[in-house]
This record gives sequence, structure tokens and C-alpha cells, in this order.
Amino acid sequence: MNRLGRALPHDSLLHRRNPTVKLAVFFVVSVLLLVPVDPWTPLALLVVAVPAVLAAGRIPWQTLGAAALLFGPFACSLLAVNAVTRDGPVVAEVLGLEVTGTGVAIGAALALRTVLVGILAVAFSLTTDGARLMTSLHQHARLGARPTFAVLAGYRVLEDLPERWMTIRQAQSVRDPRRRAGTLPRDPGSLTRAAFTLLVVALRQGERMAIAMETRGLGSGPRTVHRPVALDRRDAVFAAVVLGVCALVVLASWHVGVLRTWDTV
Amino acid sequence: MIEVRGLGVSFPGSSSPVLRDVDLDVAPGEQVLVLAGSGAGKSTLLRVLAGIVPQVVDAQVTGHVLVAGLDATTTPTADLATKVGTLTQDPADQLCLPTVLDEVAFALENRGVDPALIGPAVERTLAAVGAAHLAHRRTAELSGGEGQRIALAAALVADPRVLLLDEPTALLDPAAARAVAAAVRAAAGADRSTVMVEHRLDELGRLPARVLVLGPDGRVRSDGATQEVLHDDSRTLAQLGTWLPLSAELSAAGVGALGQLPVAPGSPSRSGPRVLRARGLTVRRGSRTVLDGVDLDVHAGRVTAVVGLNGSGKSTLLLALAGLLTAAGTVSGGSVGLVFQHPEHQFLARTVRDEITWGPRRARATDVDDRVAGALDAYRLTGLEDRDPFRLSGGQQRRLSLAAMAVCGHDVLLADEPTFGQDRRTSAASADSLRRLADEGRGVVLVTHDLRLVGEVADDVLVLRGGQVLAHGPVDAVLADDGLLARAGLPLPPVLAAWRTTDHRLRDVLRALHAAADRATSVPA
Repeated sequence: MNRLGRALPHDSLLHRRNPTVKLAVFFVVSVLLLVPVDPWTPLALLVVAVPAVLAAGRIPWQTLGAAALLFGPFACSLLAVNAVTRDGPVVAEVLGLEVTGTGVAIGAALALRTVLVGILAVAFSLTTDGARLMTSLHQHARLGARPTFAVLAGYRVLEDLPERWMTIRQAQSVRDPRRRAGTLPRDPGSLTRAAFTLLVVALRQGERMAIAMETRGLGSGPRTVHRPVALDRRDAVFAAVVLGVCALVVLASWHVGVLRTWDTV
Repeated sequence: MIEVRGLGVSFPGSSSPVLRDVDLDVAPGEQVLVLAGSGAGKSTLLRVLAGIVPQVVDAQVTGHVLVAGLDATTTPTADLATKVGTLTQDPADQLCLPTVLDEVAFALENRGVDPALIGPAVERTLAAVGAAHLAHRRTAELSGGEGQRIALAAALVADPRVLLLDEPTALLDPAAARAVAAAVRAAAGADRSTVMVEHRLDELGRLPARVLVLGPDGRVRSDGATQEVLHDDSRTLAQLGTWLPLSAELSAAGVGALGQLPVAPGSPSRSGPRVLRARGLTVRRGSRTVLDGVDLDVHAGRVTAVVGLNGSGKSTLLLALAGLLTAAGTVSGGSVGLVFQHPEHQFLARTVRDEITWGPRRARATDVDDRVAGALDAYRLTGLEDRDPFRLSGGQQRRLSLAAMAVCGHDVLLADEPTFGQDRRTSAASADSLRRLADEGRGVVLVTHDLRLVGEVADDVLVLRGGQVLAHGPVDAVLADDGLLARAGLPLPPVLAAWRTTDHRLRDVLRALHAAADRATSVPA
């Protein structure tokens, strides 16, 4: 079952929040995270964010953990590269490379930031329906009707893509008289030909969908939305709480004296 | 409601116009059926009326076209949509939004209708097309027939004055086609004009009162009351390669009933050695069993047809026989080729010649050039050698995909819906080539929902329901069994019902009908 762009099938506080507000809050927090380069501030935010997200989104911790692991390799590489490339007091030597204290601190900060942004992104996508997000952006962020529905139609094409890809690979593999039963070819030539066909077929479908939307009057003037996405005071409270907590954590880390920025590192 | 005068359409890069000097008047509430052979401009006519040609799809258009008082050649498509609803073949091209409710509401939202009125209108329209139970489904999860009903609801919800229907049942199984045809019939109201292009006339139940026939040159060949045109001009129509209802086909053959047709008994197919043996084929998808313990023997020289409703496991059976998916059970025997439902999915090369050469070359065959020349000739592809397979017409693509597989010389040839969405002439050509391959000594397995095609080419029939074999036997026995067909959910086409009143073999009767129509059309009118 293809779950791309679909929220987890339950209700939660995060599910009920306005998608545009959620996206904006996520964006602001991500920008805010660019400021600290000490490991303690992102660590403190992570410690607050993980239980908050698990509870507010009713996301199973296994699901969130598995998704966060996707960001693990990138986080580790950030830590490793920074640890051995920054100037500062040498704290160890690994495989002939000098590891500096500053490097480890900055590396850990960037790694934790990556995991945190990753977790927030996963929480956002697990609690937000793609179509409702587009409707909300159309409604609340003044995204035009054409781009909105182009994305939604593209999403429909995308939903069919895995099955179509499989059919095309089967259809093309049976053309080879020397093929082995039970396996589909994985050589670059075969995959390229299948990808080309998939592209042609998807583009043609896209063209026909665009025409279908025109024949239903898309772009004929001002439009209404029959199932509007709610936007109310609770969304303002949500944004205020999330941003307030983040600001508090950063203030606290400044107060304790562990906050470092690129200027003070 | 519709007033067309002197309409001519030519597409850039094409040598001759698709439509020439077409006049058409449609009164409010009137229903018109458009008949023509492949490439004769039926769809183009509908696309002009919908404001797509020349505004979205570039073309040179002459003459004038008024639809509900608006000039269709200059009014933007989206504005014309306030008066015109359109339904085409494939639900995948028309369902653009993730949920049924959003899909059906879309046209009203685009017109800026008060949101409070949209919900009730959506509900009403879904109920009118018999799809109220689908309201809370996702569009990606709908079957073909369900999707087509939702697309019809989406076209009807804004209550258009004109409804344009471009082969709305072409891709459906017989049961779904009848359900959609009934919904379409119900949609034609007293003040709504419809213009319909449709091949499957026997599935329509009741034909529109008026028929417009377009000739291969894009001119109007005849225009008048359906009964008169179909029967007086039945020979002309048969000549154009359009599908005809049985009664018109009989009149083209010069007889009043199928029993009056002189039938010469043909020789039964010779059964050669077994070329493929499948035992206990079982395929599971998740928790669902798609194919459940199917046994099948394929013999050289014989065509086995596999029939059943959509979702009965027909296509899965072919994939399993070809070793293209993981299945429990055993398949043993000779080499297997499979022709897929959509020719485009199988193309590998950039020219027709390379496409046919592909298989033999991979097999390191020694007589590649001879084989390719023979296939180009046998499948009427001569002259198209350097064309891009993706740019051929639907009928040409179908012939190419059959040629490219036949040229490989497999012991067994499997074909999935080879006549899907094709006109009568292409369908007949596909059927002939499958029969020829069997007569050359190959085993052929054909998946189709066209029972007439089964009667024309098959020796044996395997009936599937819910992944299980419901019956397997000689074609004349299976197609004479009403209880069996009812359990399989397969309505009997009128021509097969008429065959039962004769004493002949089904294939002989269908061949005689075909031959009589051919003879009649070869006599100059």
C-alpha cells in the first residue's frame, strides 16, 4: 500500500493543526537552529522535542526512531568531518588525523541539529495529509489554483508510479528471449529503458490530466473551497507554545553560558 | 445547442485534414452517436466542441463552432466548461485529485459556487450515477468501472448543457461497461444534449436516436435517424471498420437473422504436443490470494482463452505463466512470450525496425533480416520502418507489439487483452494473427473480456472467478452454459445469443458473418 504523502491513520493534536501553520513553525524552528553551534542547545531542544512530538502526534516511537535513523548516517558524517577539520586544541589522534575539541563540539552540534530537523520533518509528514496541505496553502498562503492543482495531479501520477514501473519492467523483460524466469533485469541499460518509458507514459498522462482539469473549469475565475482547512485560535496557541519553548531553551542555554554561535565559537 | 458549420481541422505536420467541411446541429436534449473508423476524427470533433482543439492542442481550424451560444474555437476551455461536460476513456486521465469528494466537487469550486451548496450537489450527483457508496474512497483505490462513474459524476456535477462522451466504456469489462452505459443513459436529460463516440454498441443497451457517420476523409458520410442509417448504410459502415450492433451487421451481411446465413463447416484445430504445463499456480498479494491453485496445459496449435471479470486473476495468471512474478506451483515447458495490454509499456527501441529486430538479435538468431521483413509484411508495418514506436497510432502500436513478440519464435505466446480499446478492423487483425500463430504450431493463451473474440479464435476457454478456475472446456460448451456465464459475471453478447439458435460451430458462424460482411462491402455501392 502506497502511503506516500499520507498522514498516519489516527487523530492527534498535531493531526488537527493547520498544515500551513505547522509548515511555517517547522520552517522558523529550522532557521532558529542555525544559530547555536554548541552541542548542548540542540541536545536540550531534542530532549524536549522527542517526547513532545511522540505525545502530540501519537506517533509510535518505533516509527519515529526508524525515520530518524535515516538521518543518522548524514549526522555521523557531519560529526566526523568537523571533528578532524576544525582548528583548536587536539584531544585525540585517530588514523593519523588530529581530532580537535572545537571540531567535536561543532560536529556534535551540527549532527544533533540534523537529527532534530529530521525528526521534526518526519513528525510533520506523519501528521499531515499532502492534499490537505496543498488545499491549506491555496487557502491560507495564497498559493495559486494552477500550481496547487498541478501538484495534486502530480501526486496522483506519483501514486500510480510504483505499479506502473513494475509493469513496464515486466513488459520489457519478457522481450528478451534469453531472460531468466523469476528475475527482472537490473542492468543500467534495462533500467534506463524502463525509466524512459515510464517518463513518456507519465508525461502523457500528465498532459491528459491537465486537459481534464481545464474541461472542469480550472482557471475560469475566482474559486471556492468546499471542504476548507480550519484555521483558528488553537493554531495560534500551537505556534506560540512551540516557538516560545524553543526561545526559552535557547535563552536558558545562553543564561547557563553554554550557548555558542559562529561569532563566539 | 450545438451549431457547427464548415468545420475543418488539420494538425501541424499532418498531410491531410482530420475533419473537412463538417456541419452538425444538435437541438437541446438531443442525443447523437458519432461513428467512424480509426483516425477519422471522431475524438477531434469532440475536442473541438470542448474547446480543447485548437486552444490547448494546436491545430488549424476553419469554419464556425457554436456550443451553447459560445464560440468554442475562441472561448477559453475553462470558461466553456460552464456549459460543457466531458468524459473520456481512461479514469486515470480524469481523476486528478486524491479523494472522490474533492474530485466531484472540483468543477463547482472552479465556478465559485457557494461552499454550502457544493456538498449536497456532490451527494446528489454521486447518487445519480450509482456511486453514493464511493463517496469516502480515495480515487487511487477505485476499479476502472468505479473510476469511470466518478469521472462521469465530476463531469455532471455542474449540470452542463452539453455532455461530450469519448468512448466512456472502452476500457471496462462487460459488467462494468453496462453499468457505466446505464449511468450515461440516465445522465441524458430533456435539456441536456449529448454527443457520444462509442465502439461497444451492444453494451449501450439503447442507442441514441441519431447517428452521425464520418468517412475516412473526415467528411460527414451520413447523418440521420439511427435505425435508418444503421440499416440502410450498414454496408458502408462495415466498410469503414466501425463496430456495428448485431442487427446492422446482419443487414450488412444481407440476412435478417443469423440462422439464415450460409455456414460452411471449417476444419477443427489440430492439437499438437503439450508445450506448457502449469500445476497449482498460486499467487498472493499481502493477505489476498489473487490466483488460487490453477492448473493449465497449453498445446501447440490451440488457442486457450482466459475469461472472467476484472480482478478475477486473468492477468496474474499470464504473468505467472511467463515467470514474471513469484508464484507457488510449477510451470514447465517451452519458451514463453507475452504481449502486454498497453503496447507502449513494451517498446524498447526508437524505430519500428529496431523494435522488431530486438528479440531475434538478443536470441542471436541467424536469419534476423528475413524474419523482420516477414513480420513487417505480415503485420502491415511496411512503410513505417523508421517511425518512432511511441508516435504510432493505437492500432499500429498494437500490430507492432504483436509483430515484435511473434518474430521471436516462442513455443507459447500469451496475450493480455490484445483488442482492448481498438476498432473493429484492428481487433479483427489482432485476432487473425493470434489464430495464425496457433495454426503455425504454437500454443496461444489469450486473456480477454470480449466473448465474441473468444468465439472467433479460441479452442478452449478457462473461466476464472476470484482467482479460482470456475470451468475449463471447449469453447462451444462453455459459451453455451448460461449458469456458468452468470456465475462468472459475464453477460452474453447478442451475437452469441443468436448463435445458440443455429446448429453450427460458433467459430464457423462468426467467420461466415465476417466473410458475408466483407463480401458485401467489396461490392461497389
